[in-house]
Amino acid sequence: METVNDQQEQHSNTIGVTNLRLKFPGERSLLFKDLSFEAKDSEKVLFLGPSGCGKSTLLQVLSGLIPNSIEVPTRQDTIQLPKSYGFVFQDPDTQFCMPYVDEELAFVLENLQVPREQMDERMDDVLKRVGLDVPPHSRIDDLSQGMKQRLALASVLLLDPDVIFLDEPSALLDPEGTDQIWDSVKEVSEDKTVIIVEHKIDHIADWVDRVILFDDSGHIIADETPEVIFEQYQSEITEYGIWHPNVWEHYTASESFKAMMKNRQSSTVDLVKDTDRIVHLQQFKGFYGKKEKIHVEEASIYPNSWLTIIGDNGAGKSTLLLALMRLIQASGNYTIHGKAVSLDKKDKTPPKELSFVFQNPELQFIENTVKDEVAFSLQIQGLSTKKVEEEAEHLLNAFRLYVDHEHHPYQLSIGQKRRLSVATAFAHHSDILLLDEPTFGQDAKSTYEMLEQLEELRQQGTTIVMVTHDMNIVEHFATDVWTVQQGKLLNGKDTPDEKCETKVGTHHESI
Amino acid sequence: MNLFDLFTPHKKTWLYKVNPAVKFVLFFALFMIVFFNQHYQFTMNIMIMSALLLFLFSGYRLKRLLLFSIPIVISIFSTAVTMILFGKGETIWWQWGIIKISEESFYKGLLLGFKSASFGFLGLVFLLTSRPVMLFYALMQQLKLPAKFAYSFMAALRLVPIIIDELQARSNAFKVRGVTFSKGIKGIFERLRLYMLPIFAQSIRRAQRLAIAMEAKRFQIGADRTYYYPTTYQPIDGVFALLLISLSLGAYFLS
Repeated sequence: METVNDQQEQHSNTIGVTNLRLKFPGERSLLFKDLSFEAKDSEKVLFLGPSGCGKSTLLQVLSGLIPNSIEVPTRQDTIQLPKSYGFVFQDPDTQFCMPYVDEELAFVLENLQVPREQMDERMDDVLKRVGLDVPPHSRIDDLSQGMKQRLALASVLLLDPDVIFLDEPSALLDPEGTDQIWDSVKEVSEDKTVIIVEHKIDHIADWVDRVILFDDSGHIIADETPEVIFEQYQSEITEYGIWHPNVWEHYTASESFKAMMKNRQSSTVDLVKDTDRIVHLQQFKGFYGKKEKIHVEEASIYPNSWLTIIGDNGAGKSTLLLALMRLIQASGNYTIHGKAVSLDKKDKTPPKELSFVFQNPELQFIENTVKDEVAFSLQIQGLSTKKVEEEAEHLLNAFRLYVDHEHHPYQLSIGQKRRLSVATAFAHHSDILLLDEPTFGQDAKSTYEMLEQLEELRQQGTTIVMVTHDMNIVEHFATDVWTVQQGKLLNGKDTPDEKCETKVGTHHESI
Repeated sequence: MNLFDLFTPHKKTWLYKVNPAVKFVLFFALFMIVFFNQHYQFTMNIMIMSALLLFLFSGYRLKRLLLFSIPIVISIFSTAVTMILFGKGETIWWQWGIIKISEESFYKGLLLGFKSASFGFLGLVFLLTSRPVMLFYALMQQLKLPAKFAYSFMAALRLVPIIIDELQARSNAFKVRGVTFSKGIKGIFERLRLYMLPIFAQSIRRAQRLAIAMEAKRFQIGADRTYYYPTTYQPIDGVFALLLISLSLGAYFLS
């Protein structure tokens, strides 16, 4: 009798599904056709695959969110749901319903009907376990994105889960936040089953026990240990745009990258002189309300350069871009091609030599079709209808937007939306293109596509200025680096050459 | 200054300790009385009473309170003046073109002005001295408001600052892309269309994700729950109720 009981105990912590069939209403084909998956007690499993292959949907099925909370018709032979589970989602801003850390944790405890007397102790305990070192009554909005994900993990731990599901928890985090969330996950999950969907796998590639590889149509093509997967399925992983640990190594060894760099070397211009600079700043300050948020003592932007702006979260990188675009109040000296830019409070027209690509492309779309979106930027320059038509067609092809041009911009994929937003900004034919983290949250494949696109524009004479957190981009693509710290630009006065000396890595482009 | 700082009081007065559900019921009752009452002097007394509550006991600095009162003052004047100048009446005091001031329209105008002032001041006292979270906890516990309504309101409140940021980003995007709007009514519609569409799209997606996240945290409609902020009736609630009732009675007998 006892042995039977023991076996049942063990089995109850296994989760899985056999022969799952699932179809989203309105879609023509099944997302899953007879898919089976099983995870044993305290196993760590990583799902890898191209976007849209159904990895996240499978997480929701395995947790029971589908069909209990999200109504999607499913059918399966057997399904073993976890006795208790926790779910951490991708977006740190849409997981909390309360304004303060303690209140959010209390929301979970209230749902579990934990008596009030036990709440404080339990909160302190989980906050400690995930390493969220803030007073419990702190405003969630004041936390960094990485801290918010730690809070999401903390609230999940209150559920005392056997299984933790993680749906791209670091996709929208900077490198620091990514470290934070994975450190915490590893810390708390030793005795738990963990199922992860993620594209950025640096931190977990050798931590997980098993990797499940999916193809485009939702089939499992491999179910192996990480070692085997990373050795035998290299090309699939690259094709799916996974940020695997050697992704930059592979990329910089690729033919396309080498050709690009060769091109760079051959097209080097002579050393830039100060008189050539496009933008020159002196004692330039940007304000939010009356508070000074960014201060640039002196700095220049040179033609044909690829300038990256780096710095911690909240240091003032994006603020600097907004100040350059005249979208916030600024003071000091600001010249473009030697002509002073008016910093008058009332006149807030963005300088026409600069165009700007926002982080969230959707917020900058204004038309109802992809084609009109590009055409709009051309029309306001006063081109004839015929010219606009031709030029729009040309730009859409140049940015590889091979979709129905009558589609609404919102119907595009995330990568396509980004490309379209760059295309509309580029259509202004400005000298300088400013971009606020244009590769943020994108997979490796679309990131490289975007970078190559920008390099092409640079070759044709556009100067690139972009904010980024990715030091690999700085190392391999930038010709100039600005570092912003606590509202100050640190190295604006150095010449690009000097900065390249101090730059990480070995890739020194001559300018 | 952000929205959060704007609504943070200088000090927390006794009004903060009153159970928000009690405050809500009493103020709502007073609202109704003011609404149906036709006596201008009583309404004026109520207005003075609510103004006193606001300026003496809300715990905000005078400058901030005056700022908050601007829309109230505007609404007093617009409602009162319109009624005084254009209202119907028999006993005419003064007439010029379509403007006609009569005794009846004058008193009716005063009544309307006092009413809108009372609504404004009472509403402000309530809003400024009750944290929304505490209000919903009290409504759930004292007035048995179903948790699904309380939590959907609180979750929605969390989305407001995000929407404000997005409106700002959208307005920046228009400047950068060189969008110009027509003048007049047409321009208003163009703005509405261009601002609302992406904000709606994002908000709907966000709301869906939030709802799923809440269910994943075992929020179940109709299930029993415990409360992090247990709210009960306290002596101060009685004191506040007595004070408000006696002030209102005073206002009635003095008129």
